[in-house]
Order: sequence, then structure tokens, then C-alpha cells
Amino acid sequence: MAASKKTKPVAKKTALQSSRMWLMYPPKLIKHPVIWELGHKFAVTTNVRQASVTDEIGIVCLELEGPASELTASVKWLKKLGVNVEPVELSTMES
Amino acid sequence: MSDKQGFMKALKCRECGREVPLTATHVCEFDFGPLEVAYDYELIKKSLTREVICSRPQTMWRYRELLPIAGEPTVGRQVGYTPLVKADRLAKALGIRELWVKNDAVNYPTLSFKDRVVSVALSRSVELGFKTVACASTGNLANSVAANAAAAGLDAYVFIPSDLELGKVVNSLVYGANVISIKGHYDEVNRLCAEIAGKYGWAFVNVNMRPYYAEGSKSMGFEIAEQSGWRVPEHTVVPMASGSLLTKIHKAYQEFTKLGLVPESKWKVHGAQATGCSPISVAQKAGLDFFKPVKPNTIAKSLAIGTPADGFYALKVMKETGGHGDDVSDDEIRDGIRLLAENEGIFAETAGGVTVGVAKKLIASGKIPAGSSAVLCITGNGLKTLEAMTGHVGSTREIRPSLREFEAVMAQDKPELVAR
Repeated sequence: MAASKKTKPVAKKTALQSSRMWLMYPPKLIKHPVIWELGHKFAVTTNVRQASVTDEIGIVCLELEGPASELTASVKWLKKLGVNVEPVELSTMES
Repeated sequence: MSDKQGFMKALKCRECGREVPLTATHVCEFDFGPLEVAYDYELIKKSLTREVICSRPQTMWRYRELLPIAGEPTVGRQVGYTPLVKADRLAKALGIRELWVKNDAVNYPTLSFKDRVVSVALSRSVELGFKTVACASTGNLANSVAANAAAAGLDAYVFIPSDLELGKVVNSLVYGANVISIKGHYDEVNRLCAEIAGKYGWAFVNVNMRPYYAEGSKSMGFEIAEQSGWRVPEHTVVPMASGSLLTKIHKAYQEFTKLGLVPESKWKVHGAQATGCSPISVAQKAGLDFFKPVKPNTIAKSLAIGTPADGFYALKVMKETGGHGDDVSDDEIRDGIRLLAENEGIFAETAGGVTVGVAKKLIASGKIPAGSSAVLCITGNGLKTLEAMTGHVGSTREIRPSLREFEAVMAQDKPELVAR
């Protein structure tokens, strides 16, 4: 009888999603390495597409890729830190 | 004119200038900058003259070569060409030589300028093969999408915040639209709508159809120039929510000038906001070229956008034209509504009160000189924001059916008439 072939269990793949957003930092956070920290705390890939930093405000257009739960947790963490997070469209809700 | 794209050339990124095909998309995949419709002006110049325009029906579509559709309009064919009213009594009240009111409070069919942008977005949606249209709105946009979609036989989904007043909800439900109310903070609702727009492949008028939608605002500028006797007014005061209307009125003036439909001239475009939501006007007054997001708190709900998508571009236009931004308090907004109503018989929504109030400030400060001429853009009807004026316009005086009681009232108002 032939020995049954052992198969290596395949890790269940988590679907990756991407999210595009504008981050607006208040002056107190401008020196804070927010995006570096985000990439270390959560399983997300960060990709800066546009940025403008002045003494008054930091504005960064960011693409995030990762599992949906990590994207949600990332946005929650950014908001808790005091960063204004908006979708790349900014306001979808109009009068 | 090509069958597939009319007088349009491409969608072009406002940041990097890259061009992409004329599909339902709104941001540049390279830098996420907003996309805008680019036109073939050489081709338009051969087709669009004053005579051609004047030979067409009095609707916004008389400028159709400069609007982003490939063929003939299919939705909202009667929209636009609202009155430009010479407002002599208001001019006197505000202390300016000449004043005009562009009155979109009577725009067809839903009494706001949104019918312009929606009819363009929906006509283009039909061209691109969409059967379902959608928007996220707290008022005028929802009403306009619901009404225009109904007339065109399109399925409509309208997303609203769960705390919206009943009257505004009825104004969308009556047209048979699917109205979904969303519980949650503004920014959560905003993100959800962006997600839905990305996932369902509908024509979301102010998201994936935004490049076409926004161009509809230009028709207000074209009409102002034509109705002013084929010239661009010296001063135009425009209410700012996202800032898009201001940039598009400027673009309309530029296009008419480029095509030789109006003579070369200098114009200033001024922006008006409510003090309770004034990210753009505050930045303009501080001389900044960026705005800081705010949390809106104003009776001018139709202008209450704390992170205006076109704020940066509106600031740029004001800077380029030498225009100014300013803002007014809720009481000043009500005063503005009353001034327009009592002097010109036009009842505007709160955004109209903002425009009149800011014009008054700009004239008083000399930023709009007293000896000049200005156009005020009124974008919506006062019947839609009755709650803002309730309790602020006096009250009725009740009498019994008796001449004696009437004369008691008259004795207070006009005693000389009673004495006769």
C-alpha cells in the first residue's frame, strides 16, 4: 500500500485591500515620524504620493495596503493621535 | 466632433498634467490629484459663435461644446438660463453703483444650481452606459439627483446622514429614489461613501463622475457673461462650499475669453463663506495657499464642508484674479437673506445670505469699490431652509373680522390713513 502523500498545510491568505487618504497633521505632530510608526505598528504597506509640510500644517496623500482590519485599525490609530484623516476625494457628502 | 468624445480631449490631472481616457474616474493614479476635463478648443472655436449660441434654446445646453458630453444631452434638457436680475434697490442698500443677481433659486427642476452639475453628470453617465446613479448629500444635491434620475428613468441611490430634517428627506423620497440614511460621524459617513463609490461601479455623481459633474458649474459663468451683454463682470461674488463653483465660474470666463466670445478684460472672483465653516476664507485673509480643516457649525448647511476638495484651487483663483474671501456670522446670514428678499423679492437659502452678507462687507471695506459693478451668485431657494429664518422675520398680527380692530393695527403703522 502506498504511503499517503503528506501535504503541507497552506496558510489561509488574507485578502489585501488598499485605501487612499489625505492625512492632515496639526503643528504639534509635524516632527513626529507618524508614517514610520504606522508601518511598524500595523501590517500595512505605506506609499506617500504627495506631501506638503509647513510650520502650520503637514498634508500627506497616502496609499495604504493591507488586510481590511489593519486598515481600519490604522485609521483609528491616526485619528487618536490627532491626525485628520479624509478619503482622497475629501468631501463626498455635499449639500 | 468625434462621436465618442465630442469636444473633449481627455481627463487631465490638475497636479501633474497627465492625461487619462474619458471614463468614470476622478483621481490620477500617479499622484492622486483631481482629474479635470480637457477640451479641444481649436475645434470648439470652429463651431461655437455668439450667433450659434443665440440661435439655441435658452437653457444651459446652448454652450454644449464647452460641457463634457459626447453627444446631445439626455438628462435635464431644460436646466439653466436663470434670470440675471438688475438689483438697483439692493445696490443702493449695499452702497455700490451697479449690482446684478444671478438667480439660481429658480433653477429647474429643483430650485438650486445643483441641477446644472447633476444634469451634466447624469447625461455623461448615460453615455458611459450606467443604469444606476448615486450621491451623498444633505440637501440640494440629493433632491436634484433624485428628480433628474426619475425623469431619465435611472435608478438612484441617495446617501444622507441619519439626523437630516424630515422635509429634506421627503424632497428626495418623493421622486422614488432609494434613500439610505447613515448613522455616524461626518468623517465615517464620508469614508463609507468613498468606499461604496469604489466598490459598486455606479455613477456616483460627486465621486467617480466628479470631473464631468463639476464642469456643469461653468454654465452659470457662461450665462452671466452672455446676460451681461457678452462681457465678463468686474466683480463676481460666489459662495464656497467645496470651492468648486468659484473655480468653474473663473474657468467659464477664461474659456469665453479664449474663444473670443467676450473681449479681453480683468475680472475679480470673490469667495463667500459662513464664519462657522470658513476654512477657505480664513486662509485667503491670512495670505495662505492652503487651508486648515474645520468642524462646521453654521446655519448655512449647504456650505458646511470642513475639508473643501477644491479649497486649494479656489485660493489660487482668488489670488490670480485679485479677489478676496470673507465670511459672515449666522445673524449676518439672516440679514443678508432679508436684504435680498426685502429689496429684490428674491428669497434665497442660507448660502444666498452668505453671498449677500460677504458682498456687503467687501463693498464696505472698499475691496469691491463703490463705483464698480458686481454680480452676486445666488445658488438655492429659501423655501429649502425655512427653519433658518423661522422666528427671525417678525410675526403676523391676528385680528377678528372687524374694521375697528384693523384700524387699531393701522393706527400703529400709518396713523395718517386712519385719521382720514
